[in-house]
Amino acid sequence: MIFEERQVEKNNFSSRVVFLFVLLGISFLAVLFQVFALQVSSYSSYQLAALNNKNYSIPIQPLRGEILDRKGDAIVRNELTFDLITQPDLIKNPKLFLERIKPVVYLSPQEETDYLQKFQEKAFVNKELVLKKNLTAEEIARFNVRSFIFKNAFIGKRYRRVSDYPKIFSHVVGYSSRSDQQFDFSINIPRSHWVDAELTYANGLIQGKTGLEETYNQHLIGKHGERVYEINAKGRLVQSLEYYPPERGLDLNTHLDIDAQASAALSLGNRKGAVVAIELKSGGINVLYSSPSYSINKLSNGMSEEEFQNLITDPDKPFFNRAAQGRYPPASTIKPAIGMFGLTNKLIEWDDEIDDPGFFTLPENGRIYRGWKKGGHKNVNLKKALLVSSNTYFFKLAYKSDMKDLASYLSSFGFGQKVCGDCYDEDAVFLPTPDWKFKNLNSSWFTGDTVNIGVGQGYLVSTPMQLAHYIAIIANKGEILPLSIVQADQTLSRIDNSNNIKLPKADWAKMHDALTGVIESDYGTARSIRDLKNFKVAGKSGTAELVSLDSKEAYLEVRDTELLRDHSIIIAFGPMPNPQYAVSVVIENGESGGAVAGPVAIEVLKSLLNEQ
Amino acid sequence: MNNKFSKIYFDPYLCFSLFLLSTLGLFFLYSASNADIALVLKQSAYVALGFLIMIGVSQADPDLFRRTSALFLIFSIFLLAITFLFGPEINGAQRWVRIGSFSFQSSELLKLSLPIFIANFLFDKRLPIQPKEMVVTLSIIILAFILVARQPDLGTGLIVALSGLFVLFLSGLSWSFIGGLFAILVICSPLIWNVLLQPFQQQRIATLFNPESDPFGAGWNIIQSKIAIGSGGIFGKGFGEGSQTQLNFLPETKTDFIFSVIGEEFGFLGVFLLLSLYFFILMRCLYLALSARDRFCRLVIGGISLTFAANLIINLSMVVGLLPVVGMPLPFISKGGSSLISLFFAFGIITSMGTHKKFLPQ
Repeated sequence: MIFEERQVEKNNFSSRVVFLFVLLGISFLAVLFQVFALQVSSYSSYQLAALNNKNYSIPIQPLRGEILDRKGDAIVRNELTFDLITQPDLIKNPKLFLERIKPVVYLSPQEETDYLQKFQEKAFVNKELVLKKNLTAEEIARFNVRSFIFKNAFIGKRYRRVSDYPKIFSHVVGYSSRSDQQFDFSINIPRSHWVDAELTYANGLIQGKTGLEETYNQHLIGKHGERVYEINAKGRLVQSLEYYPPERGLDLNTHLDIDAQASAALSLGNRKGAVVAIELKSGGINVLYSSPSYSINKLSNGMSEEEFQNLITDPDKPFFNRAAQGRYPPASTIKPAIGMFGLTNKLIEWDDEIDDPGFFTLPENGRIYRGWKKGGHKNVNLKKALLVSSNTYFFKLAYKSDMKDLASYLSSFGFGQKVCGDCYDEDAVFLPTPDWKFKNLNSSWFTGDTVNIGVGQGYLVSTPMQLAHYIAIIANKGEILPLSIVQADQTLSRIDNSNNIKLPKADWAKMHDALTGVIESDYGTARSIRDLKNFKVAGKSGTAELVSLDSKEAYLEVRDTELLRDHSIIIAFGPMPNPQYAVSVVIENGESGGAVAGPVAIEVLKSLLNEQ
Repeated sequence: MNNKFSKIYFDPYLCFSLFLLSTLGLFFLYSASNADIALVLKQSAYVALGFLIMIGVSQADPDLFRRTSALFLIFSIFLLAITFLFGPEINGAQRWVRIGSFSFQSSELLKLSLPIFIANFLFDKRLPIQPKEMVVTLSIIILAFILVARQPDLGTGLIVALSGLFVLFLSGLSWSFIGGLFAILVICSPLIWNVLLQPFQQQRIATLFNPESDPFGAGWNIIQSKIAIGSGGIFGKGFGEGSQTQLNFLPETKTDFIFSVIGEEFGFLGVFLLLSLYFFILMRCLYLALSARDRFCRLVIGGISLTFAANLIINLSMVVGLLPVVGMPLPFISKGGSSLISLFFAFGIITSMGTHKKFLPQ
């Protein structure tokens, strides 16, 4: 009986204990299966995760390429300096630190306060804070002897982006400065690691911000190197595992000419305006100057807040690139294009003469459009009209023109379009057409509007860049050049103008002859600049009216107010008869075109031709 | 009379496999502690002491445990109470009782005394278990669970409860009752979640299902553990070569997460061999349980070895990401004197119960 019960109990126990062990065995298998899944099935992803844990790669900043002028001289280069760099996270008391380091390097009171302020604001560049830039050899030696005391500071070899011509290339070259938001995604380094980048520049990870520095940033920037560290879970560096050196950026070969740009700046002086010069055989932009200007060195390497505010609030708008964005009426400089439009459309012949009484009366309403010379120029044909800049002739011609046709003809010269292939901030402006006027001014087109455009006034505006492009086409006898600041093998210009301006060869010769006469003949409106050079130049001057004047009193009043004075403009090319360069000059409120803008154009041409 | 002194009670299979396991454990600990020799030496001293204790305990007759089971239980509850009142707080929990320079995790004893006591209480009862006995047993189990879980140490509390429940189950608890209990547990689970669980425990469970939701907080441990094990591959990275371990990405490498160290440095192969060793030990325990001399011994061996197995499975499931993170060491391998000593003590009891055969009445 007892034995039986024991047997029952034992069987019961056995089955239950086996049941539990089987359950545990299943759990064992589940664990084993999970381990298998982790170690065998998903091995590669966990292996990668473990590598990502321990490997900390940081970028090494490359050296930016230099920007060279057409002779190979550096416009912007990298300047090596030795800076005293501190590591703020290792400095507990910045004031005490300064006291200790002052006997080693000289610090001006300004440098001290700047440092303390940046320290407080945590305005570091990648865990670095530059205490003193440009150490002298003596300071370097003094520091090196004592460097063991200063574990939280070191002398770093750091570059700066500098131009030896900081104020004359500002608008075209632009500047580069520190950027926290742009990373080089061509190397596979997580975003968060960029704060630990190994720096080459004192200003940290710099990027082009404007001008060529921005447009050609990818070309200039080079390739970041990489250093892979092994780190532990606390982020402490354990050892350096791998090193891939950075690749220096490519130098940028431009068409710019330092001498010509300097002569443009010099001859413009402190007047507001712009100069653009183009090499005819290449379409290269040799000069692109806008005045007033600002120092790109200061903008790149640190400018005080006050200085920056002054630049921004300056009424003369130094940041404004007048050469590529300034909108000026082309005034009389448009006349060659109007004339060519007339020839092409058989509205006029070279020899057709009209009587210029000094004004044009619009037949529809009797409104009078005046020329610049009282009494007029009497009998005028196309050549004379260009030479003496007869308004009446071109009023009449424009009166006969269809505005849509005229606008499309002007657009083939680049008006209303972007013409510079690699300018950072070019304005295309617009072409005035009946549609344009209706959309923008909600008014219909009058014949008088077309008449005004015949002398480059009214709704027609253009940039100095467009004017230079336009005169270069005339100089090239109709061949349209894609303009570019950077030389052909590196340019990013994608402008491709294939339809050239068609005009019989004889007409081109006559046009060149007439435009040469503007400067070189006794009757030309720009003859005052004839003797400034010893080569022949063709061109057309213009005086852009900012206010239309009906009385002599009004005219005198305008003369007294500088900002209402006319802009003086000249477009020119030379040397004749085989021109190599074309140039456009606009001087704001400079008045009479030929006499004011002319000498600037001549200086630039002389410089380009080495005729100084 | 004479064979009482000439015979030494010990089980060669258990002895050898435990020796292998704890020696391997020392090697793993060496790597997991970034080559902390002092720690490994201290641990080896515990291993040596543990072996002595195991062999010593093995010599005692099972009847001794049976007779003293009530005393043993009261003593361990007393220790627990002392801990609860006076124990130092470590990591926000009071689990340790300090005797001189030796701190002892008092709940370890309960894992042994509770199943022995219940086995003693039930072994001579008729089948099936009567409701009165069941209520008494369950009350004691619940009391022990609450005492430990309030420390707060939910993981150990559950193990303690399991150690009792295993014996209750093995001694013939009716299936319908188990079903009912299970149903109640399921129904009460929201209550358990909200009332019994501390916020950090809720967090751990939530983390299990979505560790990436908080990769640097609660999810860190489990993510790093999985990376460590997964990156070990089939053959492992080699002894002392695990980057997760050596660069401290892996937390608690010496204690709860030492299995991840083994997985990282010895790969699937190492894990498989280690699990095989554990499996062998458990199978030996099962054999001893089935061949023990009486019902009391069977119940104790079954209860203690299943508790050991549950402990093991919970640790393994936790580090591989199958269970929420609970503080539970890997038996015989994780750093910790009290865990080791009580494990050897437990296996001493198992050996004693398994090797003492009944004298035939003369």
